[in-house]
Amino acid sequence: MVNQKNIYKKLLPIVFLLLATQVVFAQKVVRYDLYIKDTIVNFTGKNKRAIAVNGQIPMPTLTFTEGDTAEIHVHNRLKESTSLHWHGLYLPNKEDGVPYLTQMPIKPNTTHIYRFPIIQNGTHWYHSHSGLQEQIGMYGSMILLKRADDPTFRKGIDDLPTVPIILSEWTDYNPDNIHRMLHNANDWFAIKKNTVQSYGEAIKAGHFKTKLTNEWKRMLAMDVSDVYYDKFLINGTSESQLSQFKAGDKVRLRISNGGASSYFWLTYAGGKMTVVANDGNDVEPVVVDRLIIGVSETYDVIVTIPAENTSYELLVTPEDRTKSASIYIGSGIKQLASPLPKLKYFEGMKMMNDMMKMNGDMKDMGMNMSLQQMDMNTVMYPEITGENKPKSSQHSDHSNHTMPSNDIVTLNYAMLKSPTKTTLSENAPVRELRFELTGNMNRYVWSMDNRVLAETDKILIKKGEIVRITLYNNSMMRHPMHLHGHDFRVINGQGDYAPLKNVLDIMPMETNVIEFEANLEGDWFFHCHILYHMMAGMNRVFSTENQAPNPYLPNKKWAYRKLQRESNELHFMFQNDFATNGNDGMTMLQNTRWSFGTEWRLGYNDRHGYETETHIGRYIGRNQWLMPFIGFDWRYRKHETPEKNLFGQTNTKDNRTQFSLGVAYTLPMLIILQTEVYQDGNVRVQLRREDIPLSKRFRASFMVNTDKEYMFGLNYIASKNLGFRTHYDSDMGFGIGLTFNY
Amino acid sequence: MAITLLLSFTACNAQIKNAKTESVKIYGNCGMCETTIEKAGNIKKVAQVDWNKDTKMATLTYDPSKTSQVEILKRIALAGYDSDQFLAPDDVYAKLPECCQYDRVKKSEMVKVETIDDHSKYNHEGATNKSNETKQVVNQLKSVFENYFALKDALVKSDGNLASAKAKELLNALNAVQMNKLSNEEHIVWMKVMKDLVFDTEHIEETKDVGHQRDHFNTLSDNMYQLLKASKQETPTYYQHCPMANNGKGANWLSKENAIKNPYYGSQMLSCGITVEKIE
Repeated sequence: MVNQKNIYKKLLPIVFLLLATQVVFAQKVVRYDLYIKDTIVNFTGKNKRAIAVNGQIPMPTLTFTEGDTAEIHVHNRLKESTSLHWHGLYLPNKEDGVPYLTQMPIKPNTTHIYRFPIIQNGTHWYHSHSGLQEQIGMYGSMILLKRADDPTFRKGIDDLPTVPIILSEWTDYNPDNIHRMLHNANDWFAIKKNTVQSYGEAIKAGHFKTKLTNEWKRMLAMDVSDVYYDKFLINGTSESQLSQFKAGDKVRLRISNGGASSYFWLTYAGGKMTVVANDGNDVEPVVVDRLIIGVSETYDVIVTIPAENTSYELLVTPEDRTKSASIYIGSGIKQLASPLPKLKYFEGMKMMNDMMKMNGDMKDMGMNMSLQQMDMNTVMYPEITGENKPKSSQHSDHSNHTMPSNDIVTLNYAMLKSPTKTTLSENAPVRELRFELTGNMNRYVWSMDNRVLAETDKILIKKGEIVRITLYNNSMMRHPMHLHGHDFRVINGQGDYAPLKNVLDIMPMETNVIEFEANLEGDWFFHCHILYHMMAGMNRVFSTENQAPNPYLPNKKWAYRKLQRESNELHFMFQNDFATNGNDGMTMLQNTRWSFGTEWRLGYNDRHGYETETHIGRYIGRNQWLMPFIGFDWRYRKHETPEKNLFGQTNTKDNRTQFSLGVAYTLPMLIILQTEVYQDGNVRVQLRREDIPLSKRFRASFMVNTDKEYMFGLNYIASKNLGFRTHYDSDMGFGIGLTFNY
Repeated sequence: MAITLLLSFTACNAQIKNAKTESVKIYGNCGMCETTIEKAGNIKKVAQVDWNKDTKMATLTYDPSKTSQVEILKRIALAGYDSDQFLAPDDVYAKLPECCQYDRVKKSEMVKVETIDDHSKYNHEGATNKSNETKQVVNQLKSVFENYFALKDALVKSDGNLASAKAKELLNALNAVQMNKLSNEEHIVWMKVMKDLVFDTEHIEETKDVGHQRDHFNTLSDNMYQLLKASKQETPTYYQHCPMANNGKGANWLSKENAIKNPYYGSQMLSCGITVEKIE
């Protein structure tokens, strides 16, 4: 017995020592198993396909503590390949989760293991980086906790109860179809959102001149976002409640925007909110009335519950304000927040007209815009700039009702300040880069320096150097630019305490400067996080020189070409009018620069004739107003006499087969001037405009050319793919018909 | 007459399929309330609300496969009317016509909770232990600064009348300063800027034109900044800058809060500007 006791005594310190080392070098491995499966969801009354992970949308919240090792087993049970990207995390390049850039796609019915140390803390999230899977369910919160002994632990902030919140949107349309429709300038979404901004609506609002100027400057109607969504979701649902909290409680909401293309306004019915972190990095607390969270950004926000037996609405409104989602914090009767009033689109159009030069460049009128400080969209916000017209209806004696409020404090990047110094090494060499964000709304081309990923090589950088990037947004939309694997400093006037971020929202005409130390080897994606902009090619890759090979991606050269091709797909479009006087139609295949199209007019008899025109063209320049093309025409029409064109050249249209060279140019008012020379020397000049928005659903069109042919048409858009059309054609006469488009 | 009423009533009801009827309390006052409540709640063929202004009870008739009591009551609350489930947003309630401003019985008393204010609280707890003597001196200029901030707020609101009134109060405060009670540093700056302070303030008071007021506010703010720098303050003040003001030459102002509220532009560019200095 005595002996044994002695042994215990001797052993005890050793045991303690072992325990202690366990705590200090806690190589705790935290494992998650994720099963990715196809599923059917019903958000709107219709069953639709979605992707669920472990049976849920959003994906499960992953929680780690700084110092842990994450081990995530991804079991792909889909019929397609997938991937997972850990948004905002510092990790080895091969764990970053970008298919064809840092790994091969995870094939169906295989398992891939991501394993990396957690060397930071904060609110992050994760999502699929394959195709458009993120839109249909593959997003989830990722919470990295601070250790209690962390010197940056903030009492009163880091010890509050927290709730992970992930925002997203749902659409019943297949996202691939949405992507295609955006590229075909289909305005069905605008009809659904009631944001067509047609001539009829412009006249009604007293903005006819605004609309005219807008089209003169060759702009299509603008919206703050492009896609129509059926639902907006907070943690996968439109309305929910956190009833575990009571009066006086402070709650830290760890909010990530997992939406594919929506910015969200956050407002709280219980008073002001305190922002304490952004993109997973602490910031000095800032008290605000509201903030906008860009696509893929994260914000940590503290709210308080002011009264007993009351729950307070956190209202989440997408930037286009079509709908909203709510979460009630607290228990009891629900105190609502004031909804954000509808946007004044024509005010926005007017502002856009002033900012747009005739050559398609933006001009900032010398305002040096940056850091979200001056939101030009403010002209569209009734809550700040007042209602359109004073409501003259029922209670005229209370005309002050709609008095705008200018006491609303909106968060902007200049207000963010890191609590610790974020300066980079002083002696490191600095590499200066400049990108102009460019875009073409009409053809939905989004690029940097007018180049899509398919047109650029990787940008080589040296490990250890400081990369300082100046971004200028010369496009008409805002872009949330995201850098993989690093946080960058945002130069925002806070000096040594510049905030760290990994997503920078940049508004039209803004210039912002960011910088980061290239301290991690690998190929790092830098792209616009609006999913449909990313898939349109608004991407770059930063690649450190002399990298070790990536075991998950043996053939990097081949893989990069694959990645390039993915973001420059051909988009198909088809349209036919089944009319009483014949069939009119066209089909097109287009990508960023090329267009392959065929048009036809097929009569029902020889006198009306049959004709097709095929054009293969390439769009030139950033605005893509110019398109040289080669063409092939075939016509057959019974005629008594040959016809003369305006230039005195004759041509029978009986069985005419001709090659041509031509050029199409978009004139002000969006009229397309097309000049063609045929192999027999004949020349044809044509003016044409489709889709003149007369009212929300009526579109007019016309065509006139030097062969003395002309056409006028009127189209009523009945649904996404169907319309009614009436037109008069100089060859085929008057007709009415049913239009099908895809 | 009765028959037509009856007919129209059945016609109304007949439109709603699988109608479910419930009775709920909705707070309100008068006939105008009734119109607003019913209009907000009704959806053709889906929901029908009939509110009685005497009993404050509403009969909800709706198609449960398409909507719910919660949805109807939420719409009504967003129009300004409390129920047992929802409280209307305060600003919507405040905008109701006077006759409709019913007593909000459900709105319970707010508990006083301290909010997490600016970071100042965390970083500068020591700042409150200033000696009494300095506090006395602060009081000399305190009303000057307070009135300056009030004037700034009036300009943020782009309210020329209010700015003029506030300028008058500032002028009084300036004239009331007893120089001999100022600290040494304050005295030196005071002698330098006093004339200009009075000059600009007088001009702001004389006009109701906000543009002209803002011109003077620019120089006023510069001088006020010098004075404030020399003076000890209990709470921090933020010196802020808007690069666009003053025809692109930029202009500054002082504020008690870190958040930007631009006095040179008001609502349209309210948040244009940055904090260049925190004065403690």
